[in-house]
Amino acid sequence: MYVGQAIRRREDERFLRGRGRFVEDITLDQPIAHAAFVRSPHAHAAVTRVDTAQAAAMPGVLAVLTGADWTAAGHGEAEGVWPVKDMSGAESRTAYRPLICVDGVIRCVGEIVAMVVAEDRHQALDAAEAVEVTYEEKPANTVTARALDPDTPLVHPGFGTNEVMVTEHGLKAETEAALANAHHVTEVVVPTNRVTAASMEPRAYLGHYDRVNDRYTVWTTNQAPHIVRRYFTKSLHIPEHKLRVIAPDVGGGFGMKLYHYPEEGLVLWGAIVCDRPVRWVGTRSECLLGDTHARDHYTVGRMGFDENGKILGVKFETLAAFGAYESQWQASITNAYHFTMLSCAYDIPAIHTTVRAVYTNATPVDAYRGAGRPEAVYQVERMIENGAQEMGIDPLELRARNLIPPEKFPYQTALGISYDSGDPPALMEKTKALADYDALRDEQAKLRAEGQWMGIGISAFFDMAGAGPVKMMNDLGAKVGCYDVASVRVHPDGRITVFAGSHSHGQGHETTWSQIAADRLGCDIDHIDLVEGDTDRVPMGIGTWGSRSLSTAGMAVYTAADRVVAKAKRLAAHMMECAPEDLDLADGEFTVKGTDRKLSFAAVANASYHSGDRPPDLEIGLEETSFFDPADCTYPSAIHLCVVMVDPETCAVTLRNYWAVDDVGTVINPMVLHGQVHGGLVQGIGQALMEECAYDAESGQYLSGTFMDYAIPHAEDVPSFGLDAHFTRALGNPLGAKGAGESGTIGAPACICNGVTDALWHLGVRQITQPMTPRKIWRAIEDAKRASH
Amino acid sequence: MKPARFRYLRAESVDDALQALADNPDAQILAGGQSLIAMMNLRLVKPACLIDINRIWNIGYIDEEGDGVAIGTLARHNDVKHSPLIRERCPLLTEAYESIAHHTVRNRGTLGGNLCHADPSSEAPAVMIAVGATLELMSVHGKREVGAEDFFLGTYETARRQGEMLTEIRIPGRGADGWAFAEISNRHGDFAIAVIATTLRLANGRCEVARVVASGVGEHAARLKPAEDALIGRPIDDARIDAAAAAAAGAVDPHSDSHADAAYRRDAIAALTRRTVSRAAERCG
Ligand SMILES: Cc1cc2nc3c(=O)[nH]c(=O)nc-3n(C[C@H](O)[C@H](O)[C@H](O)COP(=O)(O)OP(=O)(O)OC[C@H]3O[C@@H](n4cnc5c(N)ncnc54)[C@H](O)[C@@H]3O)c2cc1C
Repeated sequence: MYVGQAIRRREDERFLRGRGRFVEDITLDQPIAHAAFVRSPHAHAAVTRVDTAQAAAMPGVLAVLTGADWTAAGHGEAEGVWPVKDMSGAESRTAYRPLICVDGVIRCVGEIVAMVVAEDRHQALDAAEAVEVTYEEKPANTVTARALDPDTPLVHPGFGTNEVMVTEHGLKAETEAALANAHHVTEVVVPTNRVTAASMEPRAYLGHYDRVNDRYTVWTTNQAPHIVRRYFTKSLHIPEHKLRVIAPDVGGGFGMKLYHYPEEGLVLWGAIVCDRPVRWVGTRSECLLGDTHARDHYTVGRMGFDENGKILGVKFETLAAFGAYESQWQASITNAYHFTMLSCAYDIPAIHTTVRAVYTNATPVDAYRGAGRPEAVYQVERMIENGAQEMGIDPLELRARNLIPPEKFPYQTALGISYDSGDPPALMEKTKALADYDALRDEQAKLRAEGQWMGIGISAFFDMAGAGPVKMMNDLGAKVGCYDVASVRVHPDGRITVFAGSHSHGQGHETTWSQIAADRLGCDIDHIDLVEGDTDRVPMGIGTWGSRSLSTAGMAVYTAADRVVAKAKRLAAHMMECAPEDLDLADGEFTVKGTDRKLSFAAVANASYHSGDRPPDLEIGLEETSFFDPADCTYPSAIHLCVVMVDPETCAVTLRNYWAVDDVGTVINPMVLHGQVHGGLVQGIGQALMEECAYDAESGQYLSGTFMDYAIPHAEDVPSFGLDAHFTRALGNPLGAKGAGESGTIGAPACICNGVTDALWHLGVRQITQPMTPRKIWRAIEDAKRASH
Repeated sequence: MKPARFRYLRAESVDDALQALADNPDAQILAGGQSLIAMMNLRLVKPACLIDINRIWNIGYIDEEGDGVAIGTLARHNDVKHSPLIRERCPLLTEAYESIAHHTVRNRGTLGGNLCHADPSSEAPAVMIAVGATLELMSVHGKREVGAEDFFLGTYETARRQGEMLTEIRIPGRGADGWAFAEISNRHGDFAIAVIATTLRLANGRCEVARVVASGVGEHAARLKPAEDALIGRPIDDARIDAAAAAAAGAVDPHSDSHADAAYRRDAIAALTRRTVSRAAERCG
């Protein structure tokens, strides 16, 4: 059995030796031209003049293209994959992100005004500087909390409001009643900071048009190449069968690389216009500005408890930033992933949430590792923490009293979602033991007496992973079918190629998909190759996002492999003159049960292609495809616990310990799982302590355009993680596996913020806005001091 | 963005570099490139010409000089950081290096380049002022010396004149002085939100000489004289330390930016002053 083993990642050989092949590494038989973009330095402005004459005359320049050219060519914009619906059923106020400014209005910093295509990158950059653009600046708003204030400038005046849509979910009357009758009500105001994925590989695209065959090719840093074809049907009006999309090695995506970015469409346009392949590789600054941003919620929440700390009801009112435009998957956050998870790991009888999605003059927001769930958990967990502190109940104890007991599974939340399996109390027991919780509380008391500020933070949650099923996701708004696809092709020599519609950009599918296939096919893992990320080779795919690949594409591999085995057994049985049921397949050989008669898998594979001696109704060949629609989402759960130390003088936070106990169902490869949890935790820690896409509130200027301004954690900023696991089986797929990609980012911000709150509660501090940099903590303490005078 | 077009000259000797500087008034020296190239890539600066001094073999030394040290301008950060001579004779600099940049940046970046760059939140300028270092500047017309205290004039602004190159940094002997460095940044190795570098000399239990130098809270690193005055002539006890901290906070006029606001920076300066003064006092020999 390969499944369950910590097999070394097969792809690491090439990555560690610097032999990966990324978009920037692609070579073609024609010289590749380069694109550079002229971007708006203003957050809100009218473009009154664009003069390209000087730039067009510069050395090496092949074309200078503007929005007017785009419109003249009849091009459009990509549609959302998850169109927004207003709760009233009315159309939401949708403005999709344009690829290039076509209407003369700039709505966020970085919006593209013109594209220069030149022989080399430097010529393109020099010419881009020579494009003269005249702007008339307008007042801008980048602050989500202000978006609906009466005097706030409108991002899209045609709508008459900055509100995109309103949605409500849950039990309104029950929640109001629960709050009215509660023994204690906790109220918090929690903004969730705007962050971005900051993947190691910046976004990059290469577009090519083959005039002879009338075929287009795009190499792209994308997580779902088949969906890219769908975008192009609307942006450049290219039919899906004419476009080949290749996502080669991709260095990190985290959701951020799911979308049809302006540069992706524009390089292909440039290639068509110039009759030359055109490439763009984003700089770090372009990417920190133009990659989709994430989170940016502003929530007011109220939670009611009875006298024993049992939660009776919770109410949320949230403003969710869309940024200047709607990015293609944005509404999956507001309409599917945020509200559904507001019950976390708790048995809460009444929940009600209202979300108002709003436009601001900022980079569009879309899904990033966790997508809606980090926000939800943060909003819930901040109330639980404050509630426990206010009521004088130990925060772990109060949580334990509210966890969903195992006998309630499948558990129907007040939001209408059903968690298939889980055992939160068991997770809590393991977490408590792993961290030696009682000893930590003793240490905290001792240190506090010495004037040291130690805090213990906890968060407990469920994740909705593994989207589909198709119908459920359609009902939640998805326009793309949330299944996935795999083909298992056995070659005549018995070696195997697996084609999957998922896309590995760090997850290690070459290892884990092969583990699954090798077990099903009874073969050596080294006899299997995996192909992903090429729409001409893989039949179809919905891609890798939302911790879905294993329970969709991975299960398609499983199913297709089983179909191959079933067919191979029929042929082998024919060849060995027995019944298929009499055959076992292991170690590359069919054996007749209870005998020593054997036939190699390779011989059967060869016969399947080259022998006329077969059952009359059996087709030639040995290749099967599965379009796998899971029976349910998966619902991984976890509990996190951390210790923070806050320096009483400088207010700097040190994260001293971090423990996480995850229930991800069946584990394919524990090493890959730990890698996922580690990476997610570091990104969650970054959100809690240092990361922020900051804008100047007055001018709308972007302040986080370099890694000197946007801080992501270094290895030395995080402790060694203490991890453990607990197993309950997922019911929606044959392996019983749940998703594991997002646990870290979902749980960490809430956990750390609770830890810092716990450290400072005795000083009167009740809430600190993330990222909790030293000055924010200092300010919170100062404010608390002032309030107590 | 990547850099705008520029001419590139490579100097093989100091004389070469000085001549190139004289011949190309629009030129800038390229040392480790860790600040300059980043700014050029963002097209924040567009020098028409670069004079690369990295091939000059004899300006990267760290040598004894009397009871002090002489450091060639091209000494790499990591060489200075790990130098036993510096640790012995200027441990304040060694301590400060714990907070300066990251390993890879320190492999290329130079102490001389750091001082000439004069970033307002850089650590080394504060250290140089606190230890009373002298900077040697050369041009085709000759040589002059400038005290570190007079070298830093503003944000990215120094007393270095057109046509001059920094060649050497001289740090005097430490004697029995105590020292301490402390910094706050949002993330270890980042540019500072606030820095204090302190040196103290005690005589008969009383403070004879004090230098309390701040960085990150003004246009350039500078001594906080009121904090020093609060210490001089008295024994360093808790009350004195508090007084110096309060005086330090009062002596700075910090700015607010997206990393920290002015009020926090002022409080941080008080905290850092308290820490460095008490540690420096303990270290007085
Ligand atoms: C990620 C990162 C983090 C950093 N963190 C810090 C930090 O925490 N603290 C800190 O202080 N610095 C930090 N730095 C900057 C680093 O210390 C630089 O190396 C240093 O500031 C400049 O040194 P350099 O040799 O690279 O100079 P260069 O970048 O080559 O030059 C800098 C400037 O000095 C001029 N110059 C250089 N040498 C001479 C000379 N001999 N005579 C005259 N002019 C000269 C150049 O013309 C240029 O204007 C960081 C840099 C990076 C990239």
